[in-house]
Amino acid sequence: MKKMFLIISREYSERARKKSFIITTLLTPILMIGIMIAPSLMMLYNTSDQKQIVVVDRSGLVADKLQSSDELLFMPHDNISKAEACKIYNEESGIFAILYIGSEVESRDSVQLITNASSSMMLESNITSQLNEIVEQEKLRKLNIDNLDEILAQVETNIALSTYINDGTGEEDSMESTSSDISYILSLVLGMMLYMIIILYGSMVLTSVVEEKSSRVLDVIVTSCTPFQIMMGKIMGIALVALTQIAIWAALVIAASKFLVPAILSEDVAATNDMMMQAMMGTIGNTAYIASLFAYMLLFILGGFLLYASLYAAAGSAVDSVQDGQQYNTIIMIPIILSIIVMMSVFNDPNSPIAFWFSMIPFTSPIVMIARIPFGIAAWEIWLSIGILYATFIFTTWLAAKIYRIGIFMHGKKPSWKELAQWLRMK
Amino acid sequence: MNAILSVENVSKSYTGHKALDDVSIEVPRGAVYGLLGPNGAGKTTLIRVINRLTIADSGRVLLDGKTMSADDIFHIGYMPEERGLYKKMRVGEQAIFFARLKGLDKREAEHRLHTWFERLGLKDWWNRAVEDLSKGMAQKVQFISTVVHEPKLLIFDEPFSGFDPINANILKEEILGLRDRGATIIFSTHNMASVEEICDHITLINKSRNILSGSVDEIRRAAGGNTFEIMHRADDVTFRSAIEGIAEVLGESRGVVGGYTATKIHIARNEDVHDVIAHLNDRCQLRSMQEIMPSMNDIFIRAVNGTL
Repeated sequence: MKKMFLIISREYSERARKKSFIITTLLTPILMIGIMIAPSLMMLYNTSDQKQIVVVDRSGLVADKLQSSDELLFMPHDNISKAEACKIYNEESGIFAILYIGSEVESRDSVQLITNASSSMMLESNITSQLNEIVEQEKLRKLNIDNLDEILAQVETNIALSTYINDGTGEEDSMESTSSDISYILSLVLGMMLYMIIILYGSMVLTSVVEEKSSRVLDVIVTSCTPFQIMMGKIMGIALVALTQIAIWAALVIAASKFLVPAILSEDVAATNDMMMQAMMGTIGNTAYIASLFAYMLLFILGGFLLYASLYAAAGSAVDSVQDGQQYNTIIMIPIILSIIVMMSVFNDPNSPIAFWFSMIPFTSPIVMIARIPFGIAAWEIWLSIGILYATFIFTTWLAAKIYRIGIFMHGKKPSWKELAQWLRMK
Repeated sequence: MNAILSVENVSKSYTGHKALDDVSIEVPRGAVYGLLGPNGAGKTTLIRVINRLTIADSGRVLLDGKTMSADDIFHIGYMPEERGLYKKMRVGEQAIFFARLKGLDKREAEHRLHTWFERLGLKDWWNRAVEDLSKGMAQKVQFISTVVHEPKLLIFDEPFSGFDPINANILKEEILGLRDRGATIIFSTHNMASVEEICDHITLINKSRNILSGSVDEIRRAAGGNTFEIMHRADDVTFRSAIEGIAEVLGESRGVVGGYTATKIHIARNEDVHDVIAHLNDRCQLRSMQEIMPSMNDIFIRAVNGTL
């Protein structure tokens, strides 16, 4: 036990003191926030040239009602034939496209966009939505209703749905409010974080076992302790590094939830009418809830990491170079990737049979279950899943140790699956 | 014989290649035991079997007369040929890590290591990363890590490779010092000069088999078999005729200061040395007679070529 502790502390201090660890730990939250903000920033500063579109409108309904914007400039044109238009406004003309509208706007193939360069989804949806609106307006106008604009303004509706979990009282104050949108975001972030940590730290185990083996450090260490101590020491040491990282992140988020969010909430957000934004800030500001999420996450990360790390350690012990390890790495990755796919379906229905069963199967449960938790899952399901996960971890570790204790002494060619099976049976 | 370690009839095959073929050795307590042999003879495999890094197909290894168990390897200090150190770790921390793994407590480990580092001139490197060390220095660190817990049995695989003559000499002195303090040392080498200087016993392994085992003196004497150098004052013809039939002259005689001639002779196996002396004493003026022992280098080459 003392020796395993020595190995754990060596593995831990070697990694946790590295500059790269400190930098990634502090930079990742900043990077994450950056990724969330980046798309809107990009939109803000994305100033592509204004595209000129010549509009040939045989129906006479649309041309002057199309709204130009920074991106698009609609230029109504005299009625000419399609062929003629195409001839004049070819590639050299500098015109981006010709919008050709037949005399019957709504008939099939009547509206055509003939472009000189590749078009985009944004541009096409801009045009169709404008056309739809214009034609709709036109139809309404034909009905000859008085005060049409007034009526339309009255009719416009924007319903905000508040969701609560039934606690038998029916009081808004006591019932926990939920929001699928926020659950969705939380579940995505948690699931992805788990995925990242398992892959990152799992392959760290593989690399480090291979390095120790090929540098022959292992030959020296095994004369002092058992292969099992070395393997568990390494896995635990790296697990501690992962936990340290998460603890720092959790501390940052919880601190933000406790101090930063209330400050923002009181000033700006409370003033806005954006229900979604308010709910979001409310959830993130709910410190107890955030802390409980992190607690579950720690349990699942630890279980998931230990489970996969034992597999990675076995794979690393069987090969001489990281390249050779890739084959095993790929196989280990399959259930992890599968979890991500199932996680996506969780968002549609967190209580579907698929979501349930994959959150019980230990190889996919960490990611799938942590993605389900924000939607509100019965406690027994969570604890059952944790129980199965940890039981499986003990089993795979036992299995991995059998491969490891032989693998680390084998140098030379990569073992076949048959040989691996033999190692398992060896006493 | 009071053997600390016995290897009995050990064989080990890898796919399509026999690395050890029925090898037995006995290592006397307190000896410096050399494992010699050409490259690829099976020395390292034997060492790995002793260290339980490789499982033998058959045969057994006894430590202190008992079949070796997993716990016994903790009493062995092992330095592999390919040096095993964590490259990124600091030298001092690493040495302490290994020493504590071997069961020393932290303070004791630090104390002993500082002494060793001082002695081998590594003091200034305590806080440097291992990857900054030269090969020779890394090897010294490895050596210290192997011996710091003072195990009763030490096994070095090619300890002198990578050392310049000065450092090789320092290492040699340290190995002899460890023996004087009661350790038994096994090492493999191709460096024959070091064998003559520090080994008490050797085993010569060639093509996976133990072809020669025993104490260095006995082996040299046996291989030398009745070769003597005689200092005398006689002309060549007289000398040759004096020993005719009982011994033969080897090579050229050479003149020595003071008018003496040195001649090497080989005495036929069934003749007595005394007879030769008697014959010579009748005919020439003798000054001295000395037994010539072959160098380990000669023995090694002759044994490997099968002409011993």
